[in-house]
Amino acid sequence: MLEIKNLHVSVGGKEILKGVNLTMKSGEVHAIMGPNGAGKSTLSYAICGKDGYEITEGTVTYNGKDLLDMEPDQRAGEGLFLGFQYPVEIPGVSNMNFLRSALNSQRRYRGGKDMPAVEFLKLVRAKAKELDMDAEMLKRPVNVGFSGGEKKRNEMVQMAVLNPSLAVLDETDSGLDIDALKVVSDGINRLRSPENSILMITHYQRLLDYVVPDFVHIMADGKIVRTGDKTLAIDLEEKGYVGLGITENAA
Amino acid sequence: MVKILHLHNPEIGKHFEGIRSSLTGADQAWLGAVREEAMTRFTNTGIPGPKVEEWKYTNLGFLANENFAVGTKADQTSEIKAFYDAAYLADIAGPVVVFVNGHIYPALSSYPDEEGVEFSVFSENTSAFRDTLESSDQASSLNDLNRAMVTDGYRLDIAAGVQVRQPIQIIHIVTSATDMKLIPVRSQVTASKGAKARIIETFIGAENERYWGHMISETTLHDAADISLIQFQLQGKQAIHMTELHTTVAEKANFSHMSLQLGAEISRTELINSFTGEYAHIDLRGAYLGRVKQSHDIYTRINHDQPNCQSNQLYRGVLDEGGKSAFQGKVVVARDAQKTNADQSNKNLLLSRKAEANAKPELLIYADDVKCSHGATVGEMDANQLFYLRSRGLDEVAAKGLLVEAFVAEVFDDMDDEILRDAFKAKAAGWLSREERA
Repeated sequence: MLEIKNLHVSVGGKEILKGVNLTMKSGEVHAIMGPNGAGKSTLSYAICGKDGYEITEGTVTYNGKDLLDMEPDQRAGEGLFLGFQYPVEIPGVSNMNFLRSALNSQRRYRGGKDMPAVEFLKLVRAKAKELDMDAEMLKRPVNVGFSGGEKKRNEMVQMAVLNPSLAVLDETDSGLDIDALKVVSDGINRLRSPENSILMITHYQRLLDYVVPDFVHIMADGKIVRTGDKTLAIDLEEKGYVGLGITENAA
Repeated sequence: MVKILHLHNPEIGKHFEGIRSSLTGADQAWLGAVREEAMTRFTNTGIPGPKVEEWKYTNLGFLANENFAVGTKADQTSEIKAFYDAAYLADIAGPVVVFVNGHIYPALSSYPDEEGVEFSVFSENTSAFRDTLESSDQASSLNDLNRAMVTDGYRLDIAAGVQVRQPIQIIHIVTSATDMKLIPVRSQVTASKGAKARIIETFIGAENERYWGHMISETTLHDAADISLIQFQLQGKQAIHMTELHTTVAEKANFSHMSLQLGAEISRTELINSFTGEYAHIDLRGAYLGRVKQSHDIYTRINHDQPNCQSNQLYRGVLDEGGKSAFQGKVVVARDAQKTNADQSNKNLLLSRKAEANAKPELLIYADDVKCSHGATVGEMDANQLFYLRSRGLDEVAAKGLLVEAFVAEVFDDMDDEILRDAFKAKAAGWLSREERA
């Protein structure tokens, strides 16, 4: 269970999150929507521990453990996964090598042993195939020369291999054409299970046609201002933020 | 004010007088004369100081005060075997030649033995080195010091058309002892027309000893010859390591040099290359990794004296806290060397604000129809890449290690020999995981 209480976060001295409260139980899928500058990405980075996101107040716990006290890799070890809005290119590191290092690091963190090489290879190939990724791409350097859609597909393959208990997906659907969007939503739906929870941050209602959330939150000016079920997203699509009484860059 | 360019240490001359009668080949008059003349030239010139432009980044000031004694033959010890095991690439079958403290070590050596390959060792056949020792064409003062004191070395001659089947491994070991050793060795490689060979040379030595390894190599490639020389520098952390390689490359010949600098307190690699024929190719590449108190200096020169030749240089440096490096790459394209293609790239990654990387590309182009490029960068690790890796579970050390490995990988990634490529990777990774990050 993820519990965020009264979270205040500043970036470069400027307060972006101004008291976020959110509780997610195992197996739930939540969507966070909101206008530009509402603090959606800041929330995902703060949960996953990126440098430069200063927590000035509040708590974030996951399964009772204080996440804010942990390094990003320890949070991954606890089961977190951050799907990046802009996946990073890493020349010289093959996807395979990257995935193996990541998976085994997490296994070791949990007190386990490295996955045998053959088993690992099978797992990665199977997940790549499920998500329609060319096996050749696994040998290529991480995201280097990948199109926007291929990068997001790669995020989904990583997520499938690492099988996180909590996935935070930061605008994973942005900039995708309809085919790529289907791949991404397929990846998310495959992860969905009573054990795994998913927090989707999105700008558009479109993704929610493919991945139906249990809860929809609307964020504005660093706070969650409205919570509802999937109909809230549909309402928002019809009426817009202003129609719902939410103004962009509300002071 | 007069700039003092060279330094002098009278103890070196005294040491030479004291040991000259026990040096290799002391009974041969020609060699005695060579040594004497070389010593005189060295004494007159002195040790290049930091005001000498080429030595700006490697301060040899300590040589004015520290006194080294020429290394002597070692008895068999388990230490030697341990160094051998660490250096020898067992997956590459083939001949191996071991020098310990600058002297051939027969117990672990098996010389190349195949048709068309002639291999000799200086201490067993000094006359095979007479021509090169008597010629002082390229003598720098340190080259002269080496010539005066040289204890041992090897000569390899490959006959026309002979493609040496297996790589030849050469291992230079320096043992621990209380004295400060000078290890002056030489090599001479000649590849006749169309000959081909690969030489893997490893320098390794006692971790907590001050010693000075000094090697002069002369390599001659005749038409269409193909020589690849790979050097692993794994010297002890207080060592001084210097290599000076002079190479000439004739028509359609192919010379490649690849080095990995991991050890030594001070390392200096000089690669002086000239084209003597057209349509030839020189490829120089390497990685240097340095941390506290370490300094690596790569000095290259490529003389494009012939048209239609190509040279490529690719160097990557990684410097952690207290580490220092220099890459000085000089390319000279002569007036008539049209259609020259010369490319140079040097990138450095600083892991600490207290690290230093110097890049000094120098292109002197006197021809007008040429393609020459150079690029040099010094940068820090990318915070976004680091966060991306860590968000997937890699801890800080593992994530940085992977990024450093990736940074230097470009140097050896396209090597055709998988065993060698893995050896490069494993040795570089070994440096990264060392805990002595003071």
